[in-house]
Amino acid sequence: MSLLRFFRRSQWDEERARELAAYLEIETAENVARGMSAEEARAAAHRKLGNPTLVREEIYRMNSLGFIETLWQDIRYGARMLRKDPGFTAVAVLTLALGIGANTAIFSMVDWLMFQRLPVQDPKALTYLGFVRGGPLHTDVQFSFPEYQQITAECGAQFDGMAAMAFGGASGGQSGPDGLTIQGKTHPVQTYFVTGNFFSLLGLKPAIGRFFAPQEGNSAGADPIVVLSWEYWQSRFQGDQEIVGKSVAINGHVVTIVGVGPKGFFGPTPLLHIQAYLPLGMLVIDAGTRSDFLAKSDARSLNIFARLKHGAAVDQVRPALDVVSQHLLARYPRPDEKLNGMRAVPLRPPGMVTSESGNPLARTAAIFITLGVLVLMLACVNVANLLLVRATVRRAEMAVRAALGAARHRLIRQLLTESLLLAFLGCVAGIATGLAATRALGAIHLPTILPVSFDFRFNWLVFAGALLATIISSLVAGVAPALQAARPDLNIVLHDAGRSLTSRRQRLRSLMVTAQVAGSLSLLIVAGLFARSLQSAQHADVGFDPHLVSNLTMDPHQIGYTEAKGQSFYRELLDRARVQPGVASASLAAWIPMGDTEFGGPIDVPGIEPVKGQPHPSALYNAVSPGYFHTMGIPIERGRDLSESDSTSAPHVALINRAMAEKYWPHQDPLGHQFSEPDKPKRPIQIIGVVRNFRMVDPYSPIEPAYFVPLTQHYFATVTLHIRSAGSDSGVIRPVLTLVDSLEPTMPVYTSSMTEALSGINGYFLFRLGAILTGILGGLGLVLAIVGVYGVMSYSVSQRTHEIGIRMALGAQRGQILTLVGRQGLWLVTAGLAIGLLVAFAVGQLIRDFLVGIGPADAPTYLVVSALLAAVAAAACLVPARRALRVDPILALRNE
Amino acid sequence: MPKRGAQPLQGEVLQGTLDLLVLQTLLLGPAHGHTIAYAIEHRSDDVLQVEHGSLYPALHRLEDRKWIASFWGTSENNRKARYYRLTPAGRKQLAVQTSRWEQLVNAVNRVLRPQSE
Repeated sequence: MSLLRFFRRSQWDEERARELAAYLEIETAENVARGMSAEEARAAAHRKLGNPTLVREEIYRMNSLGFIETLWQDIRYGARMLRKDPGFTAVAVLTLALGIGANTAIFSMVDWLMFQRLPVQDPKALTYLGFVRGGPLHTDVQFSFPEYQQITAECGAQFDGMAAMAFGGASGGQSGPDGLTIQGKTHPVQTYFVTGNFFSLLGLKPAIGRFFAPQEGNSAGADPIVVLSWEYWQSRFQGDQEIVGKSVAINGHVVTIVGVGPKGFFGPTPLLHIQAYLPLGMLVIDAGTRSDFLAKSDARSLNIFARLKHGAAVDQVRPALDVVSQHLLARYPRPDEKLNGMRAVPLRPPGMVTSESGNPLARTAAIFITLGVLVLMLACVNVANLLLVRATVRRAEMAVRAALGAARHRLIRQLLTESLLLAFLGCVAGIATGLAATRALGAIHLPTILPVSFDFRFNWLVFAGALLATIISSLVAGVAPALQAARPDLNIVLHDAGRSLTSRRQRLRSLMVTAQVAGSLSLLIVAGLFARSLQSAQHADVGFDPHLVSNLTMDPHQIGYTEAKGQSFYRELLDRARVQPGVASASLAAWIPMGDTEFGGPIDVPGIEPVKGQPHPSALYNAVSPGYFHTMGIPIERGRDLSESDSTSAPHVALINRAMAEKYWPHQDPLGHQFSEPDKPKRPIQIIGVVRNFRMVDPYSPIEPAYFVPLTQHYFATVTLHIRSAGSDSGVIRPVLTLVDSLEPTMPVYTSSMTEALSGINGYFLFRLGAILTGILGGLGLVLAIVGVYGVMSYSVSQRTHEIGIRMALGAQRGQILTLVGRQGLWLVTAGLAIGLLVAFAVGQLIRDFLVGIGPADAPTYLVVSALLAAVAAAACLVPARRALRVDPILALRNE
Repeated sequence: MPKRGAQPLQGEVLQGTLDLLVLQTLLLGPAHGHTIAYAIEHRSDDVLQVEHGSLYPALHRLEDRKWIASFWGTSENNRKARYYRLTPAGRKQLAVQTSRWEQLVNAVNRVLRPQSE
């Protein structure tokens, strides 16, 4: 059958009609010639030819591709039916669009966070080396350069190459990124210090210029060159084609740009965007890195990547690594004695590399996947429900079509085509929703000064998955009513005109309404828990007073300051800031509570011996200036504050928080006691005071022990100046900025108010994000539940119009009718609420760690949300029930 | 209205036989549907009665296989009619089908009257 003729078959049909007409004319003429009357002749000719329409139909069928033909018919008919009922179509399509779109956006983000593959050659073969401690995912991944050299010498041949690298700004003296200066302006830059073979190990090619030569990076400070990431080159240098050979300053050291990395390569870690790569030996430009670090076996700041030989598995290199690790531990002992052996671990995003406290990213992702799937399921149930309702309404139509001779399989196919048509429309709308939602999620501003690459894209694979789920569920939803509709007892249906109650389908629909109410209740409760938790976290006492405090974070190290120069800069700045008009108090600290960074480490407390198998005693620490606790509004409960006399040469002192006092000096007065840091055992620190507990890490974890040392005795380059304003606003920040500028015009400064700083990643950011996302999902669930309950109830009322009419004619009261109609719906809603409460309780257990100030079974949330949903669902029941009251008995009875 | 005693074999014409008859009829020259129908009836002494309408799907099928071609012409009594003529491929097909038909007839005859050979 030629395709051409298929598309021109109506034209063909006309020709056939003419041909048959010609036959009739000729035959009639001949009959007349044989002596018949004109009328007789025509009738005889018709008899001779047979039924011309049948002939034409036969030829037409020969010209058509049967399947396509009927499919097209079904589609056109389906489209007509959908157009005829725009309310139903809009609700169904919107429901699907929301379900598909929300899911695609959420899954795209999760997929990007958790399973993103590095854009490098054969990423599956890339591993990192680490000592295993206990479980397989608890690893010690820090190595020194001599260790790296020994590993490559001993087992480098087992691999396709190894490289070592270190993050810039991660070493002890710095709590922020490095700084890159061009034309007198310094901005933070995320640096990565790598051995010369780093790029060839990953199999990357430079976009312009060159990468490093193998020997570059092997000697300290010898190779002042830098490779920029493609995106950084675009944003900071506007994609300057002449960039190679130009010089910039990093932390005040002049380096030459030699190349630009490939587009889309943001570095080996997700989220953190590595903007500049320098040879490993250049790590000396970081504060706190000693000039002889390459020779120091205990300067462990390097990670090691190792590429497996093609097709090899990590288990194959295990024996070799076991041998090396024994040699290494013998030659370069590590303080932690519980280390097992060294392993090669597949390089996955760190989100997958579990820390000892579990993986919050994976758990967050699990929660949102659960909620997303719940929404998609609700959407599908909703559409299924609508289809069921519709199928019942159309029973009469189906029966008529069957009576007129439509084959059963044609009716089924017709209904399924309509379901698919809906799914297709939902898919188109879902793409639009998903794209918009993805863009909205991707545009979320992460409040951090670290460069973040949060550039996940709409994931078409995920979209295909959601679409498939939708198509399957709408087919499944379409099959049941289609089968029933296609097996109508013609007599009953036609006589009854769809009045009778078919109890089985009624039950199915009831079940779905219950499921919907249950699903949306659990969604709403989770959303409510997050919202309550955000609210309580924001109002919870963090232990200090963030209001009226402004932060100016500076890093003189980024412009090449030495410790001495930095100390005197800060002393000068603090003295002059304190006398600035409008400043109530000012002080310095190495890091902001609940900010981007925190410092902590092991301590040795006399009388407390480290127990094998137990973590070494440890505490958080911060380096602060005198007056810090006053500025932050933290009461000193015992002892004294730091003072100017606690200088570099004076005995080392610290204040501790109450948690530390209670943990290490229980039932004693800690004042006057001493402790020390293991790397400086000859420099004991004496406790001079105890401060009230306040939150330093995040808003929800238990408060950890912490101590506070003077900045003079423990220098940090990155320091934040906290200013408490005397007035009622924080407008004091501008004059202080001017002050910094007068002291050092090129000083990079980042300002924020303390309340802004608290909305950061470690502050309330995740709570707010969680509250927003679950709020949206919960809202979706609510809309779906309303649509579902309303749809079923109003259908049920319309089906019972006849019955209601009879009852009213027989004298039933309005209240009785209302009860009659409402009772059924309220039963379904109540059952749904009960199930939903149980589900929500289970989900609550999953998210309990993310809740602040409330338990996972927070009674007010459960009560308020249930009441809200019950009210909304009752309204959805009552509107159709009230319509039942307006039934005119006479009309209802006559209208059959 | 059969002229002689033989009963018309209406509706029993074997599938494919009609094709053969049409091709054979067209061997004599182009003809339109009406002519072809009557020609088949006459040449079989009215034994083979074709319902004239059923001829047209067959014509369509043959044209589709490019064994016959069609054109609009004027009939004997000056009416527009669609004419069919045999194509070279149709001529070949006619030979093939004729010999196959003869084989079939011979085979059936042998089964029915084995002794008379």
